[in-house]
Amino acid sequence: MMFNALFKKLMNRGEDSKEVAKKRLKFALVYDKLEIKDEMLEDLQRDLMEVISRYFEIDRKQMSLDIERAEGTSALILNTPILAARHKKPQQNNPPA
Amino acid sequence: MEGKIVVVTSGKGGVGKTTVTASLGAALALQGKRVAVVDMDIGLRNLDVVMGLENRIIFNIVDVVQGKCKLKQATIKDRRINNLYLIPASQSDEKDTIKPENMKWLCNKLKKEFDFTLLDCPAGIEQGFKNSIEAADEAIVVCMPEISSVRDADRVIGLLYSRSITPKLIVNRIIPKMVERGDMLSHQDVVDVLSIELLGLVETDENIVVSANTGLPVVMQKDSKAGKSFIEIAMRMNGHPDLPIEDPTAPRSLWKKLSGKISRKSKVQIS
Repeated sequence: MMFNALFKKLMNRGEDSKEVAKKRLKFALVYDKLEIKDEMLEDLQRDLMEVISRYFEIDRKQMSLDIERAEGTSALILNTPILAARHKKPQQNNPPA
Repeated sequence: MEGKIVVVTSGKGGVGKTTVTASLGAALALQGKRVAVVDMDIGLRNLDVVMGLENRIIFNIVDVVQGKCKLKQATIKDRRINNLYLIPASQSDEKDTIKPENMKWLCNKLKKEFDFTLLDCPAGIEQGFKNSIEAADEAIVVCMPEISSVRDADRVIGLLYSRSITPKLIVNRIIPKMVERGDMLSHQDVVDVLSIELLGLVETDENIVVSANTGLPVVMQKDSKAGKSFIEIAMRMNGHPDLPIEDPTAPRSLWKKLSGKISRKSKVQIS
């Protein structure tokens, strides 16, 4: 075994294919988990709407939440028209820890 | 002229459907055909990693069927081979998100764009299988020379016949030494049991593992025996149906014949 490894190094064959596989696998597993179901996005949108409404008056119907995917990266994009700011200090539901 | 929809199936999992799909897709494209390979395994995709295209996925087959994107947006061009395209499966959806009528619609579109569309069918005979055979013109059954694989292949062949599809057989992962010793079913045994037309024989090849590791197609590796077999199978699919099938177990030299005889003596006797 050791001789084989040494021989490979001497031949300068570069990286073992299993090392390539490991790197690709790690990346693929992360990438796979970025696929999100529509229901989860809807839940997130509802929660975000609730939080934002504490600070701003927003047009709920026009709010949109999307995941934009381009090669290698993903971005969460929230778009909402603001009608007015709420000037009253919002009630603290959860006191800061 | 419209292209062909070919389903690659096996019943049993782990016999090499995805490797066969990726390799035949690559070989057909290298022979100048326009080829799409489609991962039908919703929720457990893998054709993308085998082809080294996993980090290019933006949309998938479920997005196309649900109208969230155009077919073209979900079609990923191969990194090396011209005219080879992948339509990936979704990783997050349920198995039965796609219905047979969706596949009919999709395959009609694919036929107009591609000379060959290879569908990588999931293991089993449930929804994914039903979707895959719905619009198929032809079928390739992949089988290992192993008892459970042959049994499942037989079941799948029956289901294909009932849909008026006449399948062809690839015997995959043959270990010539074991066949010569009499410890593995020969391809002839498999053909005798399944009695369908043989499309090709592929022997076990370490290059397949290396190829999957790196995402490089095995048909582009010069010294790969399996790669050579896949190139020849692609030729049979592509206008040369009579290209002779090389038997990997045939002794190639006198020495091999002799050593075959010697090892046969040590065979276990079962009476």
